[in-house]
Amino acid sequence: MKRKLSDAGDQPPVSTPKRRRTALEQSNGALNSHAPNGALPNGDASYELPPPGQGQSTPKKANGVSATPLQQSGLKTPTHKSKARGLFATPTKPKSATAATPSRVKNADRSARKKSARVLFEQDEDAAWDGSERLAEEILHGDEPDTEKAGQPLAESIEPEDAEEAPEKGAKQPKRRAGRPKGARNKRSPTPEGELPAHERYFFQNRAGPVKTSNATLNKVPLLTHEEYFEKLGQYEDPCKEEKEYLQSLHHRSFPQWAFEFDEGFNICLFGYGSKRKLMDEFAEWIYNHRLSVTTTPIIVMVNGYTPGISIRSIFATIVTAVMGDDAPSKLGAQPTEVLELLQSALKSHEEPVTVLINSIDAPPLRRAANQALLARLAATPRIRLLVTADTPNFPVMWDISLRDQLNFVFHDCTTFLPFSAEADVVEEVNTLLGRKGRRVGGKDGVGFVLKSLPENARNLYRLLLTELITLLDDGHQSDDEGEAEGGGKAGDETGIEFRLLYQKATEEFVASSEMMFRTLLKEFHDHQMITSRMDASGMEILGVPLSRDEMEGVLEDLVLG
Amino acid sequence: MDADGLNDALGLSNDKSQNLGAYIYQPPKHRKSAGERPSKRRKVSSTADKDERPDRQHFVPLLNGDENAKSVQLRYDAYQELWSKQEHKIQVSQANSWVVIVINYSPGLKNILEDVDAGVLTDVLSFVRDTSPQTCDGCIPTALVTVGSNVSSLSRLLSRLNGQLISAGEGSVVVLESGDAPNLKTTLKNIIRATVTNTDGNDGYQRFLTDRAGPRLLGYDLDLLHDYVQRKGTKKLVLALRDSEAFDPGLLTDLLSLFKSWLDRIPFTVLLGISTSVELFEGRLPRSCVALLQGKHFEVQEAGNCVDRIYETLQTDPDTNLWLGRNVTSTLFENTSDYFQSPEAFSRMVKYAYMSHFFANPLAVLLANPDSTVLAQNKFCEAIRNLPSFRMFCEDLVEEGSINQVRDMLEVDEYLIQEAPKYLDANQQRMQNMFQAVRVVHTCLQYTQSSKKTNVSDLSIRALSGELSESTIVEEMVATTKTLDSDKLDGLLLRLREIIMGPEAGAIQEDLRTLLGTCVNSGPLRSGYNINSTVTKTTVVQQRILLSKGQADLSEPAVEYTNIVDRLVALLQVHLTETLINPQDLFLHEIFLFDLRNPLKETFAPRPRFAIERALSTPFDYLLSSSDVTMTKVSAKQPATAILYQLYLDSGALVNVHDLWQAFYGVFETEEAGGCDDRVVMSLFYGALSELKAFGVIKNSRKKTDHLAKSAWMGL
Repeated sequence: MKRKLSDAGDQPPVSTPKRRRTALEQSNGALNSHAPNGALPNGDASYELPPPGQGQSTPKKANGVSATPLQQSGLKTPTHKSKARGLFATPTKPKSATAATPSRVKNADRSARKKSARVLFEQDEDAAWDGSERLAEEILHGDEPDTEKAGQPLAESIEPEDAEEAPEKGAKQPKRRAGRPKGARNKRSPTPEGELPAHERYFFQNRAGPVKTSNATLNKVPLLTHEEYFEKLGQYEDPCKEEKEYLQSLHHRSFPQWAFEFDEGFNICLFGYGSKRKLMDEFAEWIYNHRLSVTTTPIIVMVNGYTPGISIRSIFATIVTAVMGDDAPSKLGAQPTEVLELLQSALKSHEEPVTVLINSIDAPPLRRAANQALLARLAATPRIRLLVTADTPNFPVMWDISLRDQLNFVFHDCTTFLPFSAEADVVEEVNTLLGRKGRRVGGKDGVGFVLKSLPENARNLYRLLLTELITLLDDGHQSDDEGEAEGGGKAGDETGIEFRLLYQKATEEFVASSEMMFRTLLKEFHDHQMITSRMDASGMEILGVPLSRDEMEGVLEDLVLG
Repeated sequence: MDADGLNDALGLSNDKSQNLGAYIYQPPKHRKSAGERPSKRRKVSSTADKDERPDRQHFVPLLNGDENAKSVQLRYDAYQELWSKQEHKIQVSQANSWVVIVINYSPGLKNILEDVDAGVLTDVLSFVRDTSPQTCDGCIPTALVTVGSNVSSLSRLLSRLNGQLISAGEGSVVVLESGDAPNLKTTLKNIIRATVTNTDGNDGYQRFLTDRAGPRLLGYDLDLLHDYVQRKGTKKLVLALRDSEAFDPGLLTDLLSLFKSWLDRIPFTVLLGISTSVELFEGRLPRSCVALLQGKHFEVQEAGNCVDRIYETLQTDPDTNLWLGRNVTSTLFENTSDYFQSPEAFSRMVKYAYMSHFFANPLAVLLANPDSTVLAQNKFCEAIRNLPSFRMFCEDLVEEGSINQVRDMLEVDEYLIQEAPKYLDANQQRMQNMFQAVRVVHTCLQYTQSSKKTNVSDLSIRALSGELSESTIVEEMVATTKTLDSDKLDGLLLRLREIIMGPEAGAIQEDLRTLLGTCVNSGPLRSGYNINSTVTKTTVVQQRILLSKGQADLSEPAVEYTNIVDRLVALLQVHLTETLINPQDLFLHEIFLFDLRNPLKETFAPRPRFAIERALSTPFDYLLSSSDVTMTKVSAKQPATAILYQLYLDSGALVNVHDLWQAFYGVFETEEAGGCDDRVVMSLFYGALSELKAFGVIKNSRKKTDHLAKSAWMGL
């Protein structure tokens, strides 16, 4: 589509004088990196072929490449910050541009061969979908007098034999084609006008066609590190603090109700937006303070489902220890079912109810079907009271009817609007989301932190490694252009020092006396993902550091100074 | 900002408990801010201690907290009493009906009902007893039980089967779920352990493993099971796979072939619970595996029947005094059919309805027949006077001219307290009558309706909305009753007498009996309304055919019989119009009729996705803003995730993160004129982005760099 647009912008020099260009088209033309097609003669075989290629038959690829120039102009929109909502809409072109193009392009389109070629593209659903046809027609009607004047003499002079047909069919089609980019572009806004029903909106946003987003990347925007994230978040003042507290207090009022539901044999599941961990803590405290007598302490087991590496067995084992206290056997069994059965038999002789509170039962570590089945069996155990929270929107799909039956939940909407601060490692999540996983160690700070805990020798080795790498960078990349700043991380990755060489240096500096020792030191780095290792073409091991140049220098500085 | 403040802002507690997987809760040592709440609580608990009740207070005082403790306790007691009564009924009806036989029965006539336990249970039991590998040509005896959606019925069946087998000393049932069978070793180990613990308990299993002569065997060695079978003299070891379809077919094949080879030493019988169909299940297994099995197919009926039965028992039982209204009923049945709920789940929902009523309705205390001292709290009378039904009642009284009574009820608390229980009793009686009438209609329908069966729950829903008496069902029923012949009518009368205890019904039946006695040999009598006793005359008048219907000449007994039918129909009509009232018109119906759709619906069929979408797209629905500006568009006053979500909603299927960030930043920039720290906004952006990712609405896209793919559309 973009190509066509730029075509529209480029062709005019042939048929129309420059004055007809609008400012925007000029900018398009200027930005367009492709060689202009303008040199093509009007309406002849040599011209006929390009449209199929540019056109609708392979929209994605062609546009993916050539979309750039136009999008660049679209890119400016985000700076209109006042219209935050409209940001993703590509800008509407001035009407004059739309009116001007068809007449010019039309002339080029009048030939029988052209028409026949175009028939092939006629079945373009995308165009129909975008409503461009209608738009093209509008344009057609609006422009009729203009096009007639401009088009007629030329068409006659070039292809007299087609003159009878051309005005009718030919006149319409070129408009349609030429008009389409404009119309489609207007329509291409991801935000449809008016309120669409949900399904229509889905189809609207998912219709086939090229991707219509700008090419801007986050390279220019420095991303946050863990430290900065927490520091900056601390400075933010929540405008809804009071409201959130009020919401929390509303949930508080349900505590007696929940207790009653527990008494009547129901388990409880809390859902809704926001972290419910605090609420759970408060409920645990509430239960604790509302115990039957002062002498017995109620048994409350808290489970954080979001903890990475949590296992069902460990949950069951904790409950067993909570119930049996010192009587718990030292060996519980490796299988969760074994522990569960032990628990069930222990509970038979136990009077007091056991409250189990599970935060984020739908968190990835617990999400597996097998785990849920085991939890359901726990829930079905008499005298076990289960209160779980679920954070994701589609958590009920975890449970089929038989599990639902066992779980015996009553559900309550507990929207809290509190941030998932403990549940999610925000910076890490966002980095994975953006595909920037390389910075796992937490960049400079992470490495520095690990180094602090390592022995002198290891620090010396790392210093050595960094020094060598930086020297290499200075030597090898002096001639490199400024791409360095952007691909900093990559440069570090790619530049490496050969294993043997580093070992040699290390022995020279008395860091490591044997290869064995050297490898032990390296392994420590490896475990913390502070070094990278790869084989080069000749089979030599190359060691590198997953840090950008700046970061390397920073770490080195700290090492030398510290 | 100090570390404490930062942690508070982030909602992080200072202890490290948040990073632990599972731990035993210890109450925090009370710190500064927490000091206020416990003291408040202590006050409440101390008043409770003064009463020295053994159990703690389950209910909270209502009426703005002014309800007195006695009344609160009474509500709780009333709930306990009422529910335990109803639960008992449910259990009885469940025990009788979990395998329902479709015979015409009246719930009052328990003797007609066979012990339907005998249904599938006896079949399965006799199958287990009678079959052995020898009778099955050396194959594994297999019982295929299709349960359909009635999943829970299988576990009931199995536990009863287990009980019977153990008590008869014949063997036991081991239930295996697909979760227990990740691989062959674990499966075998689980089977062996479950078999031993089933009879000997967990300790028994440990002893069984250790107290053996000879080398110690591994936990999955079937020699162990062989040993056990020999020791116990087990004749039948039933291995029940509850969800057979969920087992890995390969594993199942291995397991079955293993059983086959041990069949001469261990008397296995396999019981497969199947939710789809036998054919589908068989299709998944290799033929060699199917060839190992030989067995019989049993069918357990759908849950719907049981549910109807439970509902009928609850609502129409003569000593019920709290009913479920129309909305609740339809919600209950909706859930049952839409979510394939088990009868247990159904009764739990009913329980929850009862719970809600007593927990949240202060007037429910009236159901406990309290003495007037308990009721003598000023807010209580106020609450009654605020009832819509009270207003209606007063209006009716005014129309009738009893203005003084209305004045008394409005002004004199004592009078109201004295009168209310009376009306309550009377209206409860009318409700009971109404449900008896429903049963009458139901009984008649069983005689008159030939094709579709209307069940009690359908009728109840109509009755509860006050539409039954004028409905076509009843009209048709009356019309068909007229045409019944004497045999059927006799049967119907017999049933009706159980319900309508009036002398009139008895008299009618007496007359019918004497009439029938006089003409024993003439076959069943037909009334004048019967199609057989009308004659269509065809006459040709002026070349046109005239059809005229005329009464055929009736024999004398038939005329008499027609009279009897007329009497019965008249009786029925009077009875039905009298009793089928609209419950919403009754004074104090709020007390004995629970009809709130909402706690039930939201509690058992939640819409979490809707809740989250709503919270994010219109956050002020939840965050009741203190400032009265209703903000509809995105603003920095909203929580960050909500802002990002709304921007996300506006975007296409592919989102450029950079542009998204710009837009997000733009929202903050425009609002805070003084300029805001873009790194702070960035951290908010990070938080929001990670939350959206956790919700699964965005994921990384490989189509373009720094782009996200949208994966959920609101409202779909």
